[in-house]
Amino acid sequence: MALKEVHLLLGGPQGAGVETSASVLTASLAGLGYGIMSDREYYSNIVGRHSYVHFTISATSFPRSLTYPVELVGAMDAESVLTHFHEVAPGGVLVYDAGVDKTKISQVISMEPEVRERVEARFKEYGLEPTVGNAAKIVEEKLNAHSVPLDFRKILDEARQKLGVSSVEVQRYRNSILLGAAAAVLGVDPEVIRDGLSVRFKGNQKIVNANMVVIGLTMESVPKDVRGLAKLDEPKLDVEEMISASGNDVIGMAKIVGGVRYQSYYPITPASDESVFIEAHQAVSVDGKPVGSIVVFQTEDELAAINSAIGAALTGVRAATATSGPGFSLMAEGLGWAGHNEVPLLITFYQRGGPSTGQPTRGEQADLLFSLFASHGEFPRIVIASGDIEEAFYDTLKALNWAERFQVPVIHLVDKYMANVISAMRMPDPSKVKVDRGKLILKASGPMKRFDLSDPISPRPAIGSGAITWYTGDEHNEWGHISEDPINRVKMYDKRMKKLEIMDQEIPVEERAVYYGDDNADFLLVGWGFVKGAALDALEELKQEGYHGAYLHLKVFSPFPSKYVADILSKFDPKRVIDVEHNYLGQAAKVIEMNTGFEISRFILKYTGRPMYRMELKEAVKRILEGKSVREVLTYGE
Amino acid sequence: MASEAAYRTNVWVDWCPACGNFGILTAMQRALAELNIPPDKVVDVSGIGCSGKTSHFLNVNGVHNLHGRSIPYAEGIKLANPELTVLVNGGDGDLLGIGMAHFVALGRRNLDIKVIIHDNQVYGLTKGQASPTLRAGQRVKSMPLPNMQDWVNPISVALASGYTFVARAYALWIDDLKEILKAAIKHRGAAVIDVLQPCPTWNNIYTPDFYKQRLYKLDSEKDWDPYVKGPDPKEVAEKLSRAFAKAQEWGDRIPVGIFYANPYVESFVDNVSKVNPMYMQMSPAKNVIAKDDGTPIVDVPTMRAIFKDYIINVRKKHN
Ligand SMILES: Cc1ncc(C[n+]2csc(CCOP(=O)(O)OP(=O)(O)O)c2C)c(N)n1
Ligand code: SF4
Repeated sequence: MALKEVHLLLGGPQGAGVETSASVLTASLAGLGYGIMSDREYYSNIVGRHSYVHFTISATSFPRSLTYPVELVGAMDAESVLTHFHEVAPGGVLVYDAGVDKTKISQVISMEPEVRERVEARFKEYGLEPTVGNAAKIVEEKLNAHSVPLDFRKILDEARQKLGVSSVEVQRYRNSILLGAAAAVLGVDPEVIRDGLSVRFKGNQKIVNANMVVIGLTMESVPKDVRGLAKLDEPKLDVEEMISASGNDVIGMAKIVGGVRYQSYYPITPASDESVFIEAHQAVSVDGKPVGSIVVFQTEDELAAINSAIGAALTGVRAATATSGPGFSLMAEGLGWAGHNEVPLLITFYQRGGPSTGQPTRGEQADLLFSLFASHGEFPRIVIASGDIEEAFYDTLKALNWAERFQVPVIHLVDKYMANVISAMRMPDPSKVKVDRGKLILKASGPMKRFDLSDPISPRPAIGSGAITWYTGDEHNEWGHISEDPINRVKMYDKRMKKLEIMDQEIPVEERAVYYGDDNADFLLVGWGFVKGAALDALEELKQEGYHGAYLHLKVFSPFPSKYVADILSKFDPKRVIDVEHNYLGQAAKVIEMNTGFEISRFILKYTGRPMYRMELKEAVKRILEGKSVREVLTYGE
Repeated sequence: MASEAAYRTNVWVDWCPACGNFGILTAMQRALAELNIPPDKVVDVSGIGCSGKTSHFLNVNGVHNLHGRSIPYAEGIKLANPELTVLVNGGDGDLLGIGMAHFVALGRRNLDIKVIIHDNQVYGLTKGQASPTLRAGQRVKSMPLPNMQDWVNPISVALASGYTFVARAYALWIDDLKEILKAAIKHRGAAVIDVLQPCPTWNNIYTPDFYKQRLYKLDSEKDWDPYVKGPDPKEVAEKLSRAFAKAQEWGDRIPVGIFYANPYVESFVDNVSKVNPMYMQMSPAKNVIAKDDGTPIVDVPTMRAIFKDYIINVRKKHN
């Protein structure tokens, strides 16, 4: 029987090509018209530590969440088997390297001691020694699934002979064994994978062919009874063209489309890839006709990153930077200068595990309050958070418009999950968001009052426009010169703060919070960012079990849509409103309380660094609805 | 030639009487007037401190920003619009203390920005603490104890960081300073002028008297020629080591003038142009980002072309 949705996990040491396999598989299956998303989990290490990619593939929709168990665990090494064998679904498959069959857990030295203890406990339950062979046995006998040991060495040896390459070179194609295994278990034509390889390797036929040889040999080695075990339904998505990219890439694309022509950054995970993407496209030309040029400036630190972007913005250029927690901490002072001087600036803030360097390669949503309050003094800002990559694309365009229209810094909150998710996305339509440059003046002359008080949002002559203007971090008068006059202080302060009201009036409420559900829902999940997909999918599944819920997706936290949110909350029994977030404090709930007075008392939180999975969220919702708990802390996932 | 007055605002200059900053300000106004650069094409970027206020007194675009961060602001402005003349005015604390990383980074980039250090050996505006250019053991008026930290030599640091125009001037020798400023502005690349600036309010060591007895002009030495004449590594090495040697002189005799000037190093703007040939004609500030109807200039067909490596065409039929 073909499936509507399939889940896979491909694991191996960091640097061994698991990530490449993920992007090839995404391009391949998207090419067939399937929806696909994958989350990459990895240590803060370049080569050697355990990493894996976890997929959801759908025949009917663009997947938005991940779940366990999975129909296929494909393992490149012993550690991947030992770490993930218990996640194989009944009727699913574990594919691994027969060469590590005898490996004991004690020989896997890269495994963290805490993981080792958990794995050993799992084996103890079954009364077996923790070895790869025994893991396969458990999969077969206890999980009612299949285990397929493949002779990786033999496959690569045959490939080496066929290709006439050295034994060192053939190792480069080792990760394609996982691709071959996935193709076999999914029952797809290997030619489909060739398409994905061509996309990934930009048509380099030598690499494509070499990988295809490994894939072919692998598929032949996979026993008949597991081939096509996780076969997907015919794709039903109505699309002719998709973009297959990571969240970093998609936001980079949006910045280019949205007119960002200056991006500064200091390398930090998981933000840097965005800047690298933009740099690769800095000469924007089509058919040899130049369309624009972008400066991507790698600075000496984040202080320079934000302040140079501010400098660029003063010349009338759409300027942006991207960072994550530690970098944003350094940017706080510059943010205040931008707020005080009414500079349009976009900061894309990729949240990751904190505090301090925390969990640099893992996800979290613990910087909401920091984004709202960072920097000293009071000034208006926009804080917008995206729930998925498609939203992130359009939000970037909107953020750029709002920055210029209201002349304020905008913080765009995304996170590591979104950054590293590789998804196939519908081709976005940039004409949906018109460019709004606000009161920017590109031609002027002579000294001008940059902070003209006749309107809270003054005309903004660019430096270089012919006007002469002044800016200062001290309180200024209309000319931008220092003033400590108390009356001027009040006028300028009010002018700036007045924008909070203007933004609240002018930014449509439906762009700030979205209610998913109907009028007679009897419980409400409230969340933001990457929680969206898991929440919506969990609600669908819960509905089939008779639980009727809705989701309130918060997007803009400043200016907060207070009345709209308060109205929705008031319709629910307070005991049936559940805040769902990737942090400890329930930060969005605090923002809600601050803005509406509504106190949320039920929480589902996760701060392991791993994403929230559909099945664990669903179970936690049930426990809360049944009154068994008021605070659920989720921990699933290695 | 434009008039010097055209570069003056009517903002009251609130420095202490006899402050060396007055000399720097006057020299700047004269240099800009003599070079005849339209005020709207000049940006003065300044930091925090007494010196930081310079921006408000100059009738050119002024960006008076955070303590230590002038150089990044200036870099963003210059890279976004390479046609602007970008100057940085900062204190020795601002540029060589809190802002030192940026100071070094600008040198290695050789971006066309002119850095003017108001070197008064103290933190003026915070009331006379030791700045990074005060020597160990010295104790100026407001310090309770002698300085425990030794100095950084701005000239040595600038030379070591890759600045391609390095000079020292004295704030009260306005005409000399003006000439050096003009040379720096004409120079294509990153320039530093370390301006010895008396601070009569806090600095009772480095007084006009002190300087009068010790300063001498590099020009007055026979054979002194700081200009590199061609892209010859041997000549560069020679000129640099002579400049380094001169930078060590600080005692009975203190040199002022141009220490080193090398117009043959590619500037950052040149480097950007190399990787992105359309940069100069289409610098970020000149980009048009929307069509007449307001939609982004990068539309779907353009996206397809630019992001072709990420676009998947879905197979109509498959088995
Ligand atoms: C981040 C930060 N730290 C400290 C200060 C306080 N501060 C104001 S002016 C100044 C010193 C300025 O000294 P210098 O740069 O030598 O300039 P001068 O006043 O001597 O011209 C300091 C430390 C500040 N404004 N910002
Ligand atoms: S404190 Fe010194 S540097 Fe500052 S204005 Fe007075 S004399 Fe000049």
